[in-house]
Amino acid sequence: MAEGAEQGPGAEQPGNGGGAGSPRVSIMASASTSKYNSHSLENESIKRASQDGVNRDLSETVPRLPGEMLITDKEVIYICPFNGPIKGRVYITNYRLYLRSLEMDSALILDVPLGVISRIEKMGGATSRGENSYGLDITCKDMRNLRFALKQEGHSRRDMFEILTRFAFPLAHSLPLFAFLNEEKFNVDGWTVYNPVEEYRRQGLPNHQWRITFINKCYELCDTYPALLVVPYRASDEDLRRVATFRSRNRIPATGGGYESDDAYHNIELSFLDIHNIHVMRESLKKVKDIVYPNIEESHWLSSLESTHWLEHIKLVLTGAIQVADKVSSGKSSVLVHCSDGWDRTAQLTSLAMLMLDSYYRSIEGFEILVQKEWISFGHKFASRIGHGDKNHADADRSPIFLQFIDCVWQMSKQFPTAFEFNEQFLITILDHLYSCRFGTFLFNCESARERQKVTERTVSLWSLINVNKEKFKNPFYTKEINRVLYPVASMRHLELWVNYYIRWNPRIKQQQPNPVEQRYMELLALRDDYIKRLEELQLANSAKLSDPPTSPSSPSQMMSHVQTHF
Amino acid sequence: MEFSELIRTGRAQAELLPGPEEPPLRGTLCVTGHHLLLSPGPPSTADLWLLLLRSVDSIEKRVAGDSGTITLRCKDLRVLQLDIEGVEATLDIARSIEALSSLESVITSFPFFYRPKGLRLGDAWHFHPPECYYKRVARETNAWRLSEVNQDFSLCPSYPRAVIVPRAVDDDALARSARFRQGGRFPVLCYHHAPSGTVLLRSSQPLTGPQKRRCAEDEDLLRAVLAGAHPGARGFIVDTRSAQAAKQARMTGGGTEAKAAYPGWKRLHRPLERGRALQESFVRLVEACGDPEQSMDRWLSRLEGCRWLAHVKEALSTACLAAQGMEREGACILVHGAEGRDSTLLVTSLAQLILDPLSRTITGFQELVEREWIQAGHPFQLRCAHSAFSHARPKHEAPTFLLFLDCVWQLGRQFPLSLEFGEGLLLALFEHAYASPFGTFLCNSEKERCLCEVRTRTHSLWSGLNHLKEQRKLRNPLYVLNPLAIWPSVEPQSLRLWQGLFLRWTRPPESSEVAWEKVWQIVTEREKTEGSQPTAST
Repeated sequence: MAEGAEQGPGAEQPGNGGGAGSPRVSIMASASTSKYNSHSLENESIKRASQDGVNRDLSETVPRLPGEMLITDKEVIYICPFNGPIKGRVYITNYRLYLRSLEMDSALILDVPLGVISRIEKMGGATSRGENSYGLDITCKDMRNLRFALKQEGHSRRDMFEILTRFAFPLAHSLPLFAFLNEEKFNVDGWTVYNPVEEYRRQGLPNHQWRITFINKCYELCDTYPALLVVPYRASDEDLRRVATFRSRNRIPATGGGYESDDAYHNIELSFLDIHNIHVMRESLKKVKDIVYPNIEESHWLSSLESTHWLEHIKLVLTGAIQVADKVSSGKSSVLVHCSDGWDRTAQLTSLAMLMLDSYYRSIEGFEILVQKEWISFGHKFASRIGHGDKNHADADRSPIFLQFIDCVWQMSKQFPTAFEFNEQFLITILDHLYSCRFGTFLFNCESARERQKVTERTVSLWSLINVNKEKFKNPFYTKEINRVLYPVASMRHLELWVNYYIRWNPRIKQQQPNPVEQRYMELLALRDDYIKRLEELQLANSAKLSDPPTSPSSPSQMMSHVQTHF
Repeated sequence: MEFSELIRTGRAQAELLPGPEEPPLRGTLCVTGHHLLLSPGPPSTADLWLLLLRSVDSIEKRVAGDSGTITLRCKDLRVLQLDIEGVEATLDIARSIEALSSLESVITSFPFFYRPKGLRLGDAWHFHPPECYYKRVARETNAWRLSEVNQDFSLCPSYPRAVIVPRAVDDDALARSARFRQGGRFPVLCYHHAPSGTVLLRSSQPLTGPQKRRCAEDEDLLRAVLAGAHPGARGFIVDTRSAQAAKQARMTGGGTEAKAAYPGWKRLHRPLERGRALQESFVRLVEACGDPEQSMDRWLSRLEGCRWLAHVKEALSTACLAAQGMEREGACILVHGAEGRDSTLLVTSLAQLILDPLSRTITGFQELVEREWIQAGHPFQLRCAHSAFSHARPKHEAPTFLLFLDCVWQLGRQFPLSLEFGEGLLLALFEHAYASPFGTFLCNSEKERCLCEVRTRTHSLWSGLNHLKEQRKLRNPLYVLNPLAIWPSVEPQSLRLWQGLFLRWTRPPESSEVAWEKVWQIVTEREKTEGSQPTAST
């Protein structure tokens, strides 16, 4: 490992927003001595070197995906909330907003998929006087805002506003989402990861109690359910049709992962898990953003965090999932999970319970299948909850339900550091592409809509990207264990805010990536493999020599030192 | 004194409930002079269970019918429950534990009787004498000397025999400076930062008093410090009291260095809470962590209300300030509060961990604790007489050393590769500081240790730790030498509750220990393959 590679959470890195050098805290002007950054000289020299190498003809250095087109570029002032205004050039493509600093002492780069934008506002008017008060304020879905100041002359703000609006909210302009323009090619196909029949077979279904039905093949029975369903053996298709008319939006009880209801209401225990609705969740997340962006609430951090209730909601969801998992594993009873429509809380509870009960879902592939099945296939309304390409930022359907699920998974991975094959980066990547619109995976509200749009033929799956880079997303501490049931501690004492996600834009908090512990561990693994290989080679060479008739009087030790020269 | 006088009952039948995760243990309970023993009855094959009475912080007894229950709250924050047959036996055992656990005499304490196999008396006490650190300083600079002016502890009862002082200042001047400082603690060197050629010093407050007295030798001493560093060097005095508190101290004979009297030195006030306030914060935190009734949706504000993490933040940022002054401003730093035996040591020891890669090795860290806490005269016996459960009114108790360990833990969490030791060593130091079979943390100063012959009649903890079979628990398998300063983030979002200590006995089933163990397996496997290679090649 390079000397001084570890710089700690305060370390600043060029790129990724707000990475410019912060002013040194002088001991003389020690008003803000609590701000310590890892700010080693090594770090700075790296930064300088990269500046010297900056190519002023930038158009060539803007990353571009196949199918991505540059629309415009402009000189702007990026009003960095952490380091103040930075002059830069912004490039807008049909997929991203890319900004590069034009200042000598800053290597700042912003690379933001337009899909994360939820709202674009103009700030300042023709009469604005203050410096940098005229420009755009962009609200993002991933816990940050971007502010750009522009010159008043030459309509540059109007142009930028219109272009951004057009490409960030393509639905309002009858344009396709970028996922349909993306021409990336991967040598694995993420769409084949989930095959319902195979997955049910893995669970031992169908069997004498459960059968597979194609009754919803054309999504007539329930348009938000998948085409293939597993239902109680004794319930005929006719029964199912009758049940469907009784359930909200025709969502009949079917297996979500093998944990299901009885065929009638006999002996059914009703438990109310007391989890709030999607609007409460949305407001709670908004409060989290208020205390972490751009400025972190410092003086009363813990009580401010408490007043957002975000961790409390996480606790309730986890508690609910534990109850579901416990019922299934202990009582040998099946559990029917539902909320009002069955696509928000239900998906959270079933998928978390499955994660607790079935170690398969804790592998990378298993988790992809879990998301694909319990969330995507069973009709979590991603389009409504996330609002892909939609300009109605205030839509009452928006809610961070899936984010909350991923947060719960992260909490579990914290408590069981060896139980999950994937690392934190995997979860963050999923969340980034939940919004990015680069992949088709999270688009639309249900399987029938995806089928109509031919999503699997016309877009790339996020799992393609992940599965070709699997090493990057692996937790080195993972120990595969079959049949281990995990019950996390859903107590506030053991839950913590996912700082590396919610506060990742703040350069003072940002964790180093890759995680130094994981990196060091990988090095150790590689070293060990290397030694084992060498040893095997030695033994092989040794035994080969020994089995040869002795042609020279050389001693074994000499032979070994001879062999040694290979390395 | 005979311990037997204090033991009211020999034995009783009892059941021990050691904690939520462990199974109960039944057997014969027995009180000895230093221990509570439970020898499991015939059906059980479990080992003898042993508790050092000294580690009991509070005891609570209840009787009902013909049996009783004793709850023992230990200094390491463990809570044990004993169900005992017989009312009389219960009361007698409770009284015996009460009397024996609160004995104040040092020379009858267990370390004077503890004779473990494999260790020799006197071992490891010679590990870290002041001479040893001086050798390192002398290799780096010629501006300092080792003075034995305190040979008989008469100049400063809380300093060790030998201290490192500017070469230009003679012993007579030191004696005068000592008379001008509370408790005789004149400025001495605690760390020379070779990369910038600057030094870290500590002392107690100057005794300026209401008349604003001055002391020429004390002023000379600090002038010599700057002169010995580099031409034009500046100095900062980090006072761990508020400006107002420092001023008020003049009324009782203390005070601060007057600006005009110490040219080149500038005073900075960084108030750190100490004494009672710190102890109360500790008590509140432990209460909150162990409260089963705690309404969980109020946990975070309660945690905040305990203010423990605020103390962690303040200690770390003051240490950063001192370290930054040396590393980035090229300045010399003198740290003191009033007595200079508590928060002063917290700051100087943390600043060294931030700056000095050697102090982050296992040996270096032991040396640091020995030099900056034990020999520097932190009054362990007074500060650690009771932990968080005692009902006795705190007199001198304060968890300053625990706060230091917590700050080190935070450093280790933020720089997971840079410390050679792991959480296990910090937990061990916490336990042993409060109750230990070893003599290392006994007494309040070197003088007292000398009087009690601690070094010749007890075993050193360092020797005990180094002989420990489970070295893995103490070491960090991922350690790689990091030659740079490690600047921690002190934002409240970057600081965590030390679950491994405060929630140690109520933890989730799996913790990072499992991951740690996995890393160890890999490391040892690697070492094995590595080890077999030379055999093959020679």
